[in-house]
Amino acid sequence: MFQILLLGSALAGLLAFLAGIFENEDSDAGSASNPNSQVQLAPQIEHLHRYYNKAIAGEPPQNALWAALAATVAYILYTRIGLDPVPGVILGALVGALIAAVLQGMYGSLAHISRIASMKNFKQILYWDSLLSPLPLSMTYTFLSALCLTLLSFVIHGLLGSPFPVPLIAMFLGFTLGAIASSTGDVHYGAERLYQHYKFGSGIAISKQGDIDVKGEYGYRNSVDTPYFTLRFGGPVTGLTFGLLIFIDAFSRISGNVWTSVILEFLIIALILIVIIFLEKYTRDRYGPFEEGK
Amino acid sequence: MDPLTAMLLIIAGGVLVGVCVHFIPASAVGAMSASTGIATGPSMLSFGAGLTGILSASFALDSGPVAMLASGAAGSTLMIVLTILGGNLANAFGTGVPPVSGQTASGQSLLGSSTKDVITGWEQKPFVTPGTDGHGMPAQTAISGIIGGILGGVGGAMVFLGVHFLIVPISQETAAFSGMAAAGIFLINCVLPAYTLVGKTEGMFDRKMLTIPKTFLSCLIVSTFLALIIYSVSTYASTGAV
Repeated sequence: MFQILLLGSALAGLLAFLAGIFENEDSDAGSASNPNSQVQLAPQIEHLHRYYNKAIAGEPPQNALWAALAATVAYILYTRIGLDPVPGVILGALVGALIAAVLQGMYGSLAHISRIASMKNFKQILYWDSLLSPLPLSMTYTFLSALCLTLLSFVIHGLLGSPFPVPLIAMFLGFTLGAIASSTGDVHYGAERLYQHYKFGSGIAISKQGDIDVKGEYGYRNSVDTPYFTLRFGGPVTGLTFGLLIFIDAFSRISGNVWTSVILEFLIIALILIVIIFLEKYTRDRYGPFEEGK
Repeated sequence: MDPLTAMLLIIAGGVLVGVCVHFIPASAVGAMSASTGIATGPSMLSFGAGLTGILSASFALDSGPVAMLASGAAGSTLMIVLTILGGNLANAFGTGVPPVSGQTASGQSLLGSSTKDVITGWEQKPFVTPGTDGHGMPAQTAISGIIGGILGGVGGAMVFLGVHFLIVPISQETAAFSGMAAAGIFLINCVLPAYTLVGKTEGMFDRKMLTIPKTFLSCLIVSTFLALIIYSVSTYASTGAV
């Protein structure tokens, strides 16, 4: 039992780390979360852009949809095909994630076309390359994140012993991962990648919002370039946050006693709080103070 | 447990969930490092934390109500504190800004004219980028987030427990059904405070804390209705009508 829980925790942590990276890149490649407002605002201040702008819904419900869809298909296939557990789950998860990716492609294309069309008054043009080149990339990231979340749900249900069914766990994890990705990794996209022509080391003033960087390293910037940048930092930070959450939560239950797990989790929370305060001290020494008017 | 206690658990849990959203620092503009708080909408963030809590609580389903509430609180708080750490890491190394409270810096928070962080005592004003309303999550908002996580986790687990008790007589798949219903009730109570928070809050020192009575009342009314609906469905089903 102990070994199964240990294996489950390690596997869950790894899958969660990968899912975090892929989900963040999916949202960055499609400007899907809060920075979407900046891409939407740009044409209004005469910044015609070639960003892929699909925000089908808020990132948490959108991601929960892909994960729940993939997990439902995977669970049905797994129970109906009659293969051994491991190949059955993997095959089911692959097919489920593929269906989720195709649906994301359909929703994403329509979302992009309608969002760009709504900017017609500001002379924004619907560039086909801005849709067709990032679309397969975005779909691939959705495929990978849905696959990881589905496998993770099977691990939590099967190895760790959650009483919830697999699709429900996938929906819960999809929501949680969407909330984490839109609040950690997206800062790297929204505050740094979109505003690379501003000096590093300050927030984006409200008056500058919408003044996004439309020129890339070579010609006009396309959303294909975005994961190239955010994979270096935003993605891993999201993966680390979600991976740590799943791993610590699973690992704390390894003793089998609920109260040991609760005490362990609160100790870790206190430890993380200390790290947060040290990080604040470090950043205060390194950046700022800022002067008015600069 | 009698049905009335189970319904009271659902109502109290729903109200706690509504109140917890006020404590969790969140702001969508935070994604551009232009506002203090975790960079997403308060409702969705609290919902994400609450679901982690419900998932954690489900593992302790057979260990008694108190253990279940504690487990929910631990899961929820862990999610919030890790997200604060991740957000601060992204702000520190991705954007290059220190965590600072905009409202405290401008002297408009509940702390009065003090412009210092309550926990660390560090001056906030010079570290706000001009033209923004702060960025990141300083120590006082992190503590507030932890309190919010505990309230949300306990609230979510209470709703889960209440629904579980009500539907035990009518269903085989009690955990799955109560998890789904608890998530739904959690979502409704999370979204209600959005009308008073208007997309942004800095946690327990934000002036919007004063609007808690409105949230309390709206969540109380809605949770009562939801508890009544679940009770009616379970009673109707247990008569053999479904």
